[in-house]
Amino acid sequence: MSMRSWGKSKGDRSQKAKQELSSPILERLAEMKVSGRLDDTIEAIEEAMQDDFDFVVRRFKAFGRFPAALLFLTSMTDQNAINQELMKPLMHKSSDLADAEIDSGQLHDMILNETLYHSNVGTECQLDVLVQGILRGESVLVVNELNTSFIVRTCHVDRRAIDQPATEQVIRGPREGFIEMLETNISLIRYRLQTPELKVRSMTIGRRSKSLVAVCFMEGVANPELLEEVERRLSVIDIDAVLDSGYLEQFIEDNHYSPFPQVQYTERPDKVAANLLEGRIAILVSGSPLALIVPAVFNQFYQTVEDYTERFLLMSAIRVARFIALVFSLVFPALYVSIISFNPELIPTEFAVAVAGGRAGVPFPAVIEVLIIEISMEVLREATIRLPQQVGGALSIVGVLVVGQAAVAAGFASPITVVIIALTTIGSFATPAYNAALALRLLRFPLIVMAGIFGLYGVMIGFILIANHLLSLKSFGVPYLAPLVPGSFQGMKDLVVRAPLSWMSERPSFLYPKDKARLSDAAMEEMKKQPHNALDPMNLNDQPKES
Amino acid sequence: MKTRWNRLVKLAVPMLFLLPLMTGCWDRLEIEDRAVVLGVSIDKAGSNTGSDDVTNNQGTRERLSRDSIRVAVQIALPGRIPLGPGEGGGGTTNSQQTVWVIDVVGYSLDDAFMRLQQQVSSRIFFGHLRVIIMSEEIAKSGIDNVNDYFRRNSEVRRMAWLMIAKGEAMPLLKAAPKLERIPTLYLMSTLDEGINMGKFPQDYIGMFWSNASKKGQEGYLPYVALKKEQNVEIMGLAYFKGAHMMGKTKPLQIGGYMAIKGINPAGYRVFVRLSGSSRMVMTSTTHRDTKWKAAIRDGHPHFMITIVLEVNVEEKLDMEFNLHDEGVLREIQDVESKTATKMFGRLIRQTQEAGSDIFGFGEYIRAKKPGYWNAKVKTKEQWQEQYKEMTFDIKTFVNVRRVGMEAR
Amino acid sequence: MANIRQITAIQSSAVLASTIIGVGVLALPLFAVKAADAGAPLVTLLGMALGYIGLYLITLLGIRFPNQSIVQYSEDIIGRWLAWVGSVAMIAFFAVITALGAREFGEVVVTSVLKNTPLEVTVVVMLALATISSRVNVTTFAYIHNFYFPLLLGPGFLIVALSMKNADMINLQPVWGNDPSGMVPGILTVAALFQGSFVMTLVIPAMRRPDRALQASFWGIFIAGSLYVSIVVAAVGVFGSEEIKHLLWPTLELAKATTLPANVLERLDAAFLAVWVTAVFTTLLSTNYLTIRMTTELFRLKDHNLFATFLLPVIFVMALIPKNIFQMYAVIERVGRIGLAITIAYPGLLFVVALIRKKRGKRPNENAMEPAR
Repeated sequence: MSMRSWGKSKGDRSQKAKQELSSPILERLAEMKVSGRLDDTIEAIEEAMQDDFDFVVRRFKAFGRFPAALLFLTSMTDQNAINQELMKPLMHKSSDLADAEIDSGQLHDMILNETLYHSNVGTECQLDVLVQGILRGESVLVVNELNTSFIVRTCHVDRRAIDQPATEQVIRGPREGFIEMLETNISLIRYRLQTPELKVRSMTIGRRSKSLVAVCFMEGVANPELLEEVERRLSVIDIDAVLDSGYLEQFIEDNHYSPFPQVQYTERPDKVAANLLEGRIAILVSGSPLALIVPAVFNQFYQTVEDYTERFLLMSAIRVARFIALVFSLVFPALYVSIISFNPELIPTEFAVAVAGGRAGVPFPAVIEVLIIEISMEVLREATIRLPQQVGGALSIVGVLVVGQAAVAAGFASPITVVIIALTTIGSFATPAYNAALALRLLRFPLIVMAGIFGLYGVMIGFILIANHLLSLKSFGVPYLAPLVPGSFQGMKDLVVRAPLSWMSERPSFLYPKDKARLSDAAMEEMKKQPHNALDPMNLNDQPKES
Repeated sequence: MKTRWNRLVKLAVPMLFLLPLMTGCWDRLEIEDRAVVLGVSIDKAGSNTGSDDVTNNQGTRERLSRDSIRVAVQIALPGRIPLGPGEGGGGTTNSQQTVWVIDVVGYSLDDAFMRLQQQVSSRIFFGHLRVIIMSEEIAKSGIDNVNDYFRRNSEVRRMAWLMIAKGEAMPLLKAAPKLERIPTLYLMSTLDEGINMGKFPQDYIGMFWSNASKKGQEGYLPYVALKKEQNVEIMGLAYFKGAHMMGKTKPLQIGGYMAIKGINPAGYRVFVRLSGSSRMVMTSTTHRDTKWKAAIRDGHPHFMITIVLEVNVEEKLDMEFNLHDEGVLREIQDVESKTATKMFGRLIRQTQEAGSDIFGFGEYIRAKKPGYWNAKVKTKEQWQEQYKEMTFDIKTFVNVRRVGMEAR
Repeated sequence: MANIRQITAIQSSAVLASTIIGVGVLALPLFAVKAADAGAPLVTLLGMALGYIGLYLITLLGIRFPNQSIVQYSEDIIGRWLAWVGSVAMIAFFAVITALGAREFGEVVVTSVLKNTPLEVTVVVMLALATISSRVNVTTFAYIHNFYFPLLLGPGFLIVALSMKNADMINLQPVWGNDPSGMVPGILTVAALFQGSFVMTLVIPAMRRPDRALQASFWGIFIAGSLYVSIVVAAVGVFGSEEIKHLLWPTLELAKATTLPANVLERLDAAFLAVWVTAVFTTLLSTNYLTIRMTTELFRLKDHNLFATFLLPVIFVMALIPKNIFQMYAVIERVGRIGLAITIAYPGLLFVVALIRKKRGKRPNENAMEPAR
């Protein structure tokens, strides 16, 4: 399906959906405006907010003369700020105001310009906007005889502290991870990219959740076409709630039926910053500690931040190991099945005879045996994630050691099968991206079945099918296997090995960044020069000796 | 909605089409369900073939005028060979118990294997066939059947060993050497290690076939015999003419063959008797370097063979003389090169009498003198005749390089 | 938007090479040795040269008409009806080639690895794989080839490198062979293995820079040809020409005689055959894709996917026609001869007529944004 038709069908559907999903309360308020009469306004809002125990209407007389009310949700606001910054100045009776004739226009200006000790104040007359503001944690000040009301941003929600990213640990690199608050997350990015080119566009998605979505990009680096497409795909999403960035991911990806992730997620602000600098676009949602990065290509899923912070030689080796683990987690059990049941002549004679001995008591064919152990391994893994942490450790030891040993002793599985499955499972944990590892882990099963039918031939057929699927996948028009497949020599330097940073002076070309250079020529020149030996005794000789 | 149904149908049709494919596991055969044949022996059986006709119809049986053969196979018993480096006292497992030797009589190999399959429940699997042993008698009467059957069977590897046994072949399969868990692997490693130590040229069954099919070359095979302690000795080369064994060499002549062919590493040791009754040293060859030059003389091919041997002195049987004495090393070199030349010449003449050019002189002519070859030889039979007429000169140079740790 | 000219010269070389390298390589040493025993490498080399002549003509034509495929420009050159006959011949030829390729590989698999599996299953699996993968545009088609390309060269050259240590140079002499009388038919047979290079007619209209097609086609055929030659050299060197005459698929036998260092795998035939599935797949994909694309263009169909599905049973039935393996090879040889007329003589004719009539296509940049088929 081409991208254009994708957008079209989405657009058609959203038109119809608008009527069904909308909130009736807000719709009713949409026609109403703040009238000069305080009581009418309060009544209308109170009616909308009835049954909300944390909704408070604080009536008072502004400057001792004008009836006014402050409306807010106690659960979402900072009480202290309301007291100090709103109530105190508003209720202060100034002596020179006592007799002065103040008309409504003057009153408005006076409150806005002289009284409210708050930086973020807006005026609004639509009642539905006011209600939405209250729901966001803002305070609404309604004053009698004024046709507009004031919205003061007094929002305060308890947040957890910025913590180490739980799923993307590194040994060398920053320790901060995103949290659920959008503002904090953006601050974490801004702090790393202090440049005016870092732009954050926002939009609200989710009819009922009203989630704030931020689209971050580097102006002059990210391709404008890409930005436009991302915004278009986001803007047509019409859903009642976006509870996590995962919801958005499923709407903006290209192929909805593929097992492979076409959007990368991360909870590391430094990873987002690095990707923004490569010309990608990050999408953050309030309430989600995971940022989305588009477009994503396959090689991102076995790379980590650490690859770039540690020395290139070591990390290249580790990356190769990770890549081998990734391939192994996909094909290892299938290869085992096809060698044992189809082509035992390939392995050394001594080993073949011994393997036959190990399998002699097992009643099932190798395919069934591998499938059983493989499925129980998946169950075990899932159970370990779901269990409370205190129990989880115990279970994994019990599971792996005891069950494995017992299965062999009971003649249920051959020892080599257990070894193979254990290696495969461990291999799949070496893939940094959980969703990519999951995809490969699932694809392992059809491969095992193919191996059970056709042996090595079947494994190859399965592999070709998977590879062809990968080759036809695209993420925002970028071929999924880039830079391997529309071969780019510049890109190859960061594919299986990680070349020194000085070799990678350009941003990835498959993202068509507007500004290609990442490293200045002068820096490149400097790296090529002989290092200056500052503390060489030869150079230090002409300095006077001490004492 | 309609498009969705369309998609569903489009997906379902190929699935339905593929479903029957998925149900068959035609070739899946677990490793423990295969009768893994490790070794095969082939002997003459005389005329009694037993009465259990499995492969013959009434009609074809009378027409088979061949002598029947006795084929024995060595099958690995899956349960008996422990996985990993032996559990507890695994070293004491008698190798007789890890394998199973069964023999049948048949007219041809396939006939015999069919009869065997009739007696064995699991399917016979030749993928790990490592050693094929034939009795000398079989080899002399022609091995076309053996060549054809094993070449045609896709499971058989080209890296298996084909060997000729002195006397009966079956005892070799039944032997239970102490060194390996699996007897056949002992046989195999005898030859494989022989290659590494320079005692035997690489001569897997595939190479034998290649050599035997070449127009200007004949095949040769290892000639082995069972010894008292169930161990195996390499007794020499069995040389062929076409598919018939023509004769065998002595063990040392294997070294001679390898020297004429210039095959390394070298590993044979020889006595060198110097002038004087008891002045003897033992030398070991470490490296061989051989050059052939072909010419046509008087309408016959003539070869000039230059062999350079590097040797070490390994043993001196007499304390009377010192190696560092003037001329001793030179004498060793002279004597050894003389005896070697004589030995090489004898070997070539021996094969010439049999018309069995195991050295590939004919191939050399074919490659280097194609004009002569195309005019005079052309076929394998022609060369077998002409080989007898071939003349040659051998020049052997021996260099003593090292004498070990002893200074004298 | 995926249809703009995107294919680079390197990619088109990869397409060419991986199309040419296919199931034919398994029997190639046998063909070559039958022609001129020890001169087999020379026969292969000359066959490659002959194959290159055909490719050269196609490439020249492609450069002359950078926006059109052979079906389209042949109409311009020799007129609608003559071109129709030529195009139908090409389509039929490539359909037959696809069928025979699938059959040959099915035959190899059934003989050597999956002995109890019905031939029909192995054939239909390969064909289905090719058909499913044909439902892509030219760019993805090129990506697929580009991806598998290293997977073909790697094992091929690995086998050659590992077996070369057992090779004997005597076997390769004299270089022109002892009995070169069968040389000419041998060259024709080997040249027929290079017919896959016809896929260049599809690639050129989608190339980013059609003027580099000549380089691309040279390198493509050079890579494929050098793999072929080195496999023949290795096979003849290891086995000797007489032994090869005993073997149906010498290349497979070569893999069988090869051991990975340290005995990790004791023989490589099954593994090699498994990896060779990709080689056969890319070849079948190309010939199938050629058939489908040329038909779509000839009958001016809009959607080639549906036609791909209809073609599958036809090719499948054709694949099953030969009764046994010797008949199959006889058919392959005969079809190969006919194919030479189609892939070399016909483009040659087109080229000469185009020169005489001074026909020439538009420059590529004039309508570079037009979807290239």
